[in-house]
Amino acid sequence: MARTIIQMSNIIKRYYIGMPNELQILNGISIDIHEGEFVAIVGASGSGKSTLMNIIGALDKPTEGSYFLNGTDINRLSDKELSKIRNKEIGFVFQTFNLIPRTTALKNVELPMLYAGISRRERAKKAVKLLEMVDMQDRSTHKPNELSGGQKQRVAIARAMANDPSIILADEPTGALDSKTGRLVMDIFHRLHKQEGKTIVLITHSPELAEETERIITISDGSVISDVVKNPPKPVSLSKDERGTDAQ
Amino acid sequence: MNIFENLRMAFSSIAANKMRSLLTMLGIIIGISAVITITTLGSTLRATIKNTLNSLGSNLMAVYIQQKNVDNYYDTVEIEWTDNDFISMEMIDGLLEKYPGEFQVANENPIGNATILNSKNKTVKMNIVGAYEGTLSFNAYKLIAGRNLSSGDIKGKKHTCIVSDIFVEQYFKEREEPVGYNLNISLENGIIQNFTIVGVYKYNSLSNGMGDRSTMRTPVYIPDTVADNLNGNYYPKTFYSVNFTYNAKYDANLLKAHLTEYFDEQYKANKNFGTEVISMEDQLKTIDMVINIVTLVITVIAAISLIVGGVGVMNIMLVSVTERTREIGIRKALGAKRRSIKQQFVTEAVIICLIGGVIGIIAGILNGELAGVIAGSIVSSSPEYGEILGDITVVPSVTAIVVSLVFSTLTGIFFGLYPASKAAKMNPIDALRYD
Repeated sequence: MARTIIQMSNIIKRYYIGMPNELQILNGISIDIHEGEFVAIVGASGSGKSTLMNIIGALDKPTEGSYFLNGTDINRLSDKELSKIRNKEIGFVFQTFNLIPRTTALKNVELPMLYAGISRRERAKKAVKLLEMVDMQDRSTHKPNELSGGQKQRVAIARAMANDPSIILADEPTGALDSKTGRLVMDIFHRLHKQEGKTIVLITHSPELAEETERIITISDGSVISDVVKNPPKPVSLSKDERGTDAQ
Repeated sequence: MNIFENLRMAFSSIAANKMRSLLTMLGIIIGISAVITITTLGSTLRATIKNTLNSLGSNLMAVYIQQKNVDNYYDTVEIEWTDNDFISMEMIDGLLEKYPGEFQVANENPIGNATILNSKNKTVKMNIVGAYEGTLSFNAYKLIAGRNLSSGDIKGKKHTCIVSDIFVEQYFKEREEPVGYNLNISLENGIIQNFTIVGVYKYNSLSNGMGDRSTMRTPVYIPDTVADNLNGNYYPKTFYSVNFTYNAKYDANLLKAHLTEYFDEQYKANKNFGTEVISMEDQLKTIDMVINIVTLVITVIAAISLIVGGVGVMNIMLVSVTERTREIGIRKALGAKRRSIKQQFVTEAVIICLIGGVIGIIAGILNGELAGVIAGSIVSSSPEYGEILGDITVVPSVTAIVVSLVFSTLTGIFFGLYPASKAAKMNPIDALRYD
């Protein structure tokens, strides 16, 4: 059995605690995600999947329940330590790309390494490699406003990989893209999963995208209603070079 | 998080909003340039006045008679002077005896014009001035040949004199030795007197205006005892005020105390009159005080302008933080600590203030230069002041520049801190969701 990366038990999240409009978003969620898994968390809007994602991503803490990320108890961490966890353990990919404006693709990819205190030379070297990985090396000096949506998302994926995180947390990564570029982005995730063995958590409302993964966790009204592991995973259309690899 | 990245981000953010950044800096620019302008002017004025006073002669003190018990000039009835109220030669001799080597009398007693014919039968004009041992140095004239008038010349009523280098040029042929030469000088009243030249001094045109060297009238210094007799005054010499030059190796305050003490003693018995001692140092101090007060007032006004400018910076930083909420959210999601975010925005505020400060300093120096040029042209176009004031050299105050830079930085830190900590404290989830 592979190492457990995410270990959540009985996670409850409430807002407006103690007020008349107190709201419970997550009603005791327990999930274990193992190293190398490609998991989809599916749910309609309002189901609580964004809240769950924030907790997984160490952007938020649960009201009750325990969450261990790569063996670290997230509940016990200070704001500073949470920053470090986000920096080292988690690679975010957002629906709206969230690149820093007026900053080149290369500098965007360097940013997590900058906050990790990696030297300038090493940052630049690694950022170039990461951009090559997503086939964006030609656009390294372009700023976000000079890139298309798909290109932006590829830069964002390169950035998410910068500190070699334990998990890639992708929140509707194809939501703002047309189907063709969306496909391209999904192919990159598959490649990262297969070739690099990355643990990927994909949050989506789309059942079709979820079908591409190995495991689908469905959330509804703040609870896990199904957790299906498919074995073997459904084959997906691969990008060019992966087809070449397969042919061997 | 390194400082270069912070600086790079600060400059790129400032460059992205050039107009806004410039307008934000305006308050800082005005404040700093005001301080630099006024301190530049102040230090220029101080330097010019000091140069001028030094060229008039330094190490000077004067004793003058003043009516006693004067609290209010308007209500005081002036008391008639009697001969005993004046400073007598005996008093001065007593002083010089009591404190040997400290003082020299430097009074001047111009008694009128005189002429002499040179070898080419050309009339050379001069002023005859009764003088003491200290008179030359009182005028900051340097002896270039021979000797100064001695107390022997003065006490012995010797017909000796000191002439200027200009007089030498006008009267003598080249290579002729002036010291020891006998001059037959015609005074205005027709009397012809014989004087032996004992010394030649260098005439300093800076303190007395320029003129044509071949026709200029320069002072010929003779013992004042002789001058008094030529003037028809055979009574014992008395003074309303006495100028002293003093030996620079003594402390000015000590010498002033000696003078004050001595003359207070002399006038103790006089119920109507006493003496007052003033020194050049006191005059300089008074001028310095006036300049300092003006500088202080302008600095306070400039400080207010800096505070207003700082509030402007704070306002813009708050706008900037709000505008970049999403960016802050992204940075936090990518692992930026609160401190990193805080540093980023404080750096930006400091850079805005520092750029403003540097522009302000440059503007201030240019203002000061301009004012110097204007003052210079006024001075040179007016002969009266041209005589008194020397060249005006504009001196920017280094202290003021350093203080301005430090102050700009502090303004940036102070007014950037609140917006920066507001940014640092943002909840990353809300920040990421911000539109």
